[in-house]
Amino acid sequence: MLVTWKYRPRNTFIQRLDPRTRFIFMACIIFALTIPEIWDYRIILPLFLVSLTLYLMARIEWKDVRRAWIYIFILVFFIVGLNGMLSGRGGPSSVVDLASPVVFEVPFMVPGTDWGWMVPVTVSKLWFALNQITRMICMAILAIPIPYTMDPNIYGTAFKRMGASDNVSFTMDLAFRFLPTFARDLTITIDAQRARGYEMEKLKGGLIAKIRRLAPLIIPVTMQSTVTGEEVIDAMDLRAFGTAPRTWLKDLKYAPRDYFMIGLGVALFVTCCVLKWGFGIGGFFVPEFFTNFIMG
Amino acid sequence: MNDKSTWEFGTRQVVYGAIGAALYGVFSWATNIFPLPAAGNVTFRPAVAVLIFFGAAYGPWVGLLAGFIGNTLGDMLTGWGFYWNWSLGNGLMGMVPGLVVGALNDFKARPTIMKAVGWGTLGIAVGMLFASLTEMFVGGIDLNTALVGYFTPAFIGNFVVTAILLPILMIAFAGVAARRGR
Repeated sequence: MLVTWKYRPRNTFIQRLDPRTRFIFMACIIFALTIPEIWDYRIILPLFLVSLTLYLMARIEWKDVRRAWIYIFILVFFIVGLNGMLSGRGGPSSVVDLASPVVFEVPFMVPGTDWGWMVPVTVSKLWFALNQITRMICMAILAIPIPYTMDPNIYGTAFKRMGASDNVSFTMDLAFRFLPTFARDLTITIDAQRARGYEMEKLKGGLIAKIRRLAPLIIPVTMQSTVTGEEVIDAMDLRAFGTAPRTWLKDLKYAPRDYFMIGLGVALFVTCCVLKWGFGIGGFFVPEFFTNFIMG
Repeated sequence: MNDKSTWEFGTRQVVYGAIGAALYGVFSWATNIFPLPAAGNVTFRPAVAVLIFFGAAYGPWVGLLAGFIGNTLGDMLTGWGFYWNWSLGNGLMGMVPGLVVGALNDFKARPTIMKAVGWGTLGIAVGMLFASLTEMFVGGIDLNTALVGYFTPAFIGNFVVTAILLPILMIAFAGVAARRGR
């Protein structure tokens, strides 16, 4: 078992951006959709296209992200989409308040009885579910490329330059450095326990027994790490950690492209706020073409 | 057992915050590779017991940082991206048991273990409730989906592993700390 970072240098526009720019831009898009509560497809779709363009510009291979996408699709389509389609809840109240034609009804019956109720799926609920799925994917596709395109060694510096304290930033930096060590310790522990007859793939017994049987793997690695911690604390204390502000080996500087992206993100956020609160554009409504398409 | 100044944030907290985060990340990732058989959409993440343990043993800052950074690391290793509200929820989950770090002295004693499990459970409730409820704003889901689809499975799964593994971790730690003498 080897811990491998998903990150690979790719010489793309996305990777040339300052990491702070990417966090700020992602925050701008999330805030643009959530703070003014945008549910209008005429705004969601352009934002989705911007996010999709940036995602494609990251040039991540499908085999790398396939697993993440499957997880996100299951979550978005089955939990969020299905719920939006059946209940119409989770967004503006106009979804269920609108007088909308019923497309079909889903029966929810108590098994073995004729007691239950019919849940109407309306055009309004269908359109809402589509909007909600697009809205969520719009935010997710900005988050997914981060592990693949951001150097793990830069996180500590990035958080420091975004205003976090030395202690918090150094914790983050140190965590990235400890990770391969503990992964190796876990591998050694698994091998050692297997040599003693521990069968990892055959965790027999009930649920509680299964969890308890993970203890021979978790306890040794955790206890060893607490001992390692004391040695690291001694080493850091000897170097007077925490007595004065730290300097950081890696330096981050904004380039013109970073100012452009931050400006774009802020402009999108401000536009969404002005459209919603200034002009009343951005609320939920069902376009006529969708009703015609569904109802024939 | 350790310096019990609850809100102190020095070298010890930095180092154990980082260690807790790295362990949480590694164990989360490892159990993604070797998933624990579970029912329905209830997922079990044994790493949560380690996170609660670090909060209870080293204080709220360590729990908060271990949860926030550890969840970020675990998601990054599996390639799921960065979801700030779930990372912060995990941070709160580690922070809450750390609030009673001053009252947890003898890690072998049954009352101490019960107290740690109790506060750990409160931490799970607070952290997962925060993450689930913020999904209402971030993801546009409704309260029912947040509570039934997200909070309940996360709470049940995390509570079960904490109730089983945290006492074992605490007893093992008491032995290690006694040998170390600090």
